[in-house]
Amino acid sequence: MAKYSANVPTYSSVGVADTSNFTDAQYIAIQGGAAAARTAISEVYVGGQATSSAPQYILVARDSTVGATGLTGVRTAALDASAAGNTTPTIAFSTTTTKPQRSATLSLLNLSFNAFGGIVRWVAAPGSELFLVGATASLGEISISAAAASTTGPVGTHAIYEQV
Amino acid sequence: MPSKRRQEGYLFVDHRESPGLPPDAALMTPGKPSPLIVGRSAMLESATITCSHCQVIVILNPLRDRPRGYCAKCDAYVCDNPLCLRECHPFAKLMDDICERAIRGQEPLVVQSLPVVPDSEPIVVPSIIVP
Repeated sequence: MAKYSANVPTYSSVGVADTSNFTDAQYIAIQGGAAAARTAISEVYVGGQATSSAPQYILVARDSTVGATGLTGVRTAALDASAAGNTTPTIAFSTTTTKPQRSATLSLLNLSFNAFGGIVRWVAAPGSELFLVGATASLGEISISAAAASTTGPVGTHAIYEQV
Repeated sequence: MPSKRRQEGYLFVDHRESPGLPPDAALMTPGKPSPLIVGRSAMLESATITCSHCQVIVILNPLRDRPRGYCAKCDAYVCDNPLCLRECHPFAKLMDDICERAIRGQEPLVVQSLPVVPDSEPIVVPSIIVP
């Protein structure tokens, strides 16, 4: 299937504790499609846009509570313009009615950086991507969010994923 | 002949125009992957590996001299979590099982637990000053 870029040009990245509700437009989450579908996340990029020092402890983690109802807020574009649509696509979002919560134990990657002039990018090797399966907790959703110790600051983020 | 390096991902942290991160142990969160402390005016490019058993991303420390975790059954790297080192429970197999049950219309597989990242010290990267 086609690869997609999920991106938000700018948002305020505010630290949130594990197993606490995320706040709309302060994180990005990617939720799988059908129950038997898998999604591979192959790249995560966070670019700092702060005007003063703002250490950010960005966690790429599985969510113990997944978002539900009205999943919006993230621009999603196919990298191949001729990509065919999918009836139950993987969804990237940052706004939702039922708020997702980061798992207290299933953090996969710590992308610490300073949002004042810093950038951080992780790319997976082919076959070593992060996988979602289904759309339910805890393997069906991964979020990119700031850990509680972070200093609030604006960032821009994108993630590249493929439903396989 | 395939190399294990084909499994390596890539991490890039650029603080060349940034105050960077303070080497502050208070930033450590128990149970979370260690933060990588890249300081002022430093830049880091590093290989990463994805644990074949729990999918944690491991940032490879070039100064490490202990052998890395490796599962001969998966033919893949694993992280330092004792559970991942001890037994072979490939994440790919878990995904296959979940998908298979979904396709057959069976009850969803209840995942009891995945290995939890052990607490560890933060990794402080020596300043790599780029002229």
